[in-house]
Amino acid sequence: MQTIIEVENVSKSFGHVKAVDELNFYVTKGSLFSFLGTNGAGKSTVISIILTLLQPDSGSVTVNGFTVGKENEFIRKEIGVVFQESLLDPLLSVQENLAIRAQLYGMAKQEILSAIQRCAEIVDIHSILKRRYGKLSGGQKRRVDIARALLHQPKILLLDEPTTGLDPQSRQQIWKMIGHLQKEHGMTVFLTTHYIEEAANSDFVLVIKEGRIIAKGTPIDLKQQYSADRLFITTTDHTALRMHFLHDHVLFQEETGGYTIDLPNTLAAIPILHKYQSLISSFEVRKSSLDDVFIRIHDREGGRLC
Amino acid sequence: MLVFAKRNLLLYFRDKSAVFFSLLAVFILIALYVFFLGDLIADGVPDFPAKHWLLLSWIIAGVVTVTSVTTTLGAFSVMVNDQATNAYKDFRVTPMKQSVLLGGYIISSLSIGFLMCIMTLLVAIAMLFATGEPVLSFTQIIQSVGVIFLAVLTAGSMISLLVIFFKTSNAFAAASTVIGTLIGFLTGIYIPIGTLPAYLQNMIHIFPISHIAALLRQILMDAPMAEAFAQAPVEVKESFQLNMGVVFKVNGWQVSPLVSVMYLLLITIIFFILSASVMKYSRR
Repeated sequence: MQTIIEVENVSKSFGHVKAVDELNFYVTKGSLFSFLGTNGAGKSTVISIILTLLQPDSGSVTVNGFTVGKENEFIRKEIGVVFQESLLDPLLSVQENLAIRAQLYGMAKQEILSAIQRCAEIVDIHSILKRRYGKLSGGQKRRVDIARALLHQPKILLLDEPTTGLDPQSRQQIWKMIGHLQKEHGMTVFLTTHYIEEAANSDFVLVIKEGRIIAKGTPIDLKQQYSADRLFITTTDHTALRMHFLHDHVLFQEETGGYTIDLPNTLAAIPILHKYQSLISSFEVRKSSLDDVFIRIHDREGGRLC
Repeated sequence: MLVFAKRNLLLYFRDKSAVFFSLLAVFILIALYVFFLGDLIADGVPDFPAKHWLLLSWIIAGVVTVTSVTTTLGAFSVMVNDQATNAYKDFRVTPMKQSVLLGGYIISSLSIGFLMCIMTLLVAIAMLFATGEPVLSFTQIIQSVGVIFLAVLTAGSMISLLVIFFKTSNAFAAASTVIGTLIGFLTGIYIPIGTLPAYLQNMIHIFPISHIAALLRQILMDAPMAEAFAQAPVEVKESFQLNMGVVFKVNGWQVSPLVSVMYLLLITIIFFILSASVMKYSRR
C-alpha cells in the first residue's frame, strides 16, 4: 500500500499551548481516512499544516512526496479542500465563483469550462450554476464547495467537518458523493468529523485529543476494542432474580422495568440467559454505537497511546 | 494577480447599494458645499470678477481630493471582509503566492478609487456646465486625471498600511467614517487654510493628501484666478492663493508643483515598503 500523506513527529505550539504534540500517522493512497476529535483537539492545526497554511515547529509532513514548507505550491495542486464554513463569494453566481477559483490554479479558459462541467456533473449542480451562491441552501452550498475543491483534479480531497449543520437528507447525499469520489475516481479522502457514526464507512479512523493520538484503527477494530455490550433483562419475579444475582455475584444495575448487566462481549450473554431462563420474560443485547465508543475513548483518556 | 483583482472588482460592483452609497457620499459633499459652505466662504471674501467660478473650482478640487481617499478606503473593504469572514483562507490554499494576492487587492482598490474619482470629476464638469461656468479644457482634464492617479496611489499606499490592523468589518467601517470626516480637515478642504492657526497649517503642509488638493487647485483654478485678479495687484493674488491653500509656503519657501509631486511619490514608496514589511512580519 502506498502512502500519500505522512506526518512524522509533528509538534506545533501557539504560545504556551501545545496544539499538536509529537503526532505520527500516515494515510494510504485511495483510502477514506477519518480524523476525529472533539473541538480543540488539534484537528484544525493538523489540517492547516497539511494544507501548508501553517509550518510545524518540529517534525515533517509530506504530501504525495512533497514536503510541507519546501514544496508548498506542489502540495496545493494535489489537495482539494472543503472548509467547514462556506467560503465562496455570496454575491457571485456559482459559475463565476468556480471560474475565478479555477483561474487561480492557472487553468486556461477552455480548461476551466470543461472543469466546471466535469465537477458540476459529479456533485449534480448543473441546475444552480447561474444562481448566486449566497442564495443557495446549506446542502447546495456544500455541493458547490465540493465542486470547487475538485476543479484542479486533486489527488487528495480534504474535508473539514463537511456535514456539520446539514439536514439528514443532504448529509446522506454528501456522504454518497464522498464515497463515489473515493471508489470511482480513486481519490484519497481525508476528513474530520465529530460524529463518529459518520466515520463508519471509512477505511481508517484516528482519534486525537489534546494533540495526541488516543485511538486508531478501522471502525470495526475500534468498536470491538472499545464497545461495551450490555444485556437488558425484564422479569416477572423481581425478588427471585435479584436473589439469584446476589448469590451468584453478578453485577447488575436496576433500570426502569428491568436490569442491565455489563458484558465483556456479546457471546457472554448466552450463559447468563441459560442460567436464569425460567425467570426471564424478555431480554435484549445492546451493542454500543460508535458514538458510545467515541465517548468511551475520550473518557478513558489517560493518553492511552496505541 | 489581475485575475484576482478582477474578482475583487466584480465583487465590489456587484454590491450595487454599496456603490450607490459611496457615490451618494460624494454627491452629499458637493451639495453641502453648494448650499452651505460655499455661501459661507463666499461671504467671507469681497466681491471680485469670476467669484462663483473661482470658488466652485476650489470646491471641486477639494471634493475630488476627499473622494480619492474615501473611495479607495471603501474599496479596501473587500480585503478586510475576506480576512474577517475567513474567505481569504480559500485563496491561500491555491498555488497563488500571498504577495500576488495582496497585489490583487491593492490593484482592485486603486482601480475602484480611480474610477470613482473620475466619476466625481465628470459630475463636477457637469456642475460647471449647469451653472453656466466655462468647463475644463482638454489639458486641464488630462492634468487632473494625472493628479487623481497620483492621489489614489498615495492614498492607497497609506491605506494599505492601515488595513493590516483591522480584523473585523465593523471596526473597519467605523474607522472609515472617522477618516472620512477627518480627511477634509487634515487637507484644509472644509475651511480655507488661512483661517487656521499656524500649527494646524503646518500639519496640513506635512499631510501628503493636502498636496493633492493644492495640485488640483492649481490646475482647476488657474483660469478663473487669471480672470479674477487681472486688475488686482500681485500681492492680493498671492495672499488669496496662500489663504485658500492653492500654494503652500513652508518656512517662507513656496512649494512648487514638482516638489509636491516628488513628495507624494516619496510618501507612496515609503508606505508601500512599510506595509509590505509589516505584512511579512505579521504573517509569522
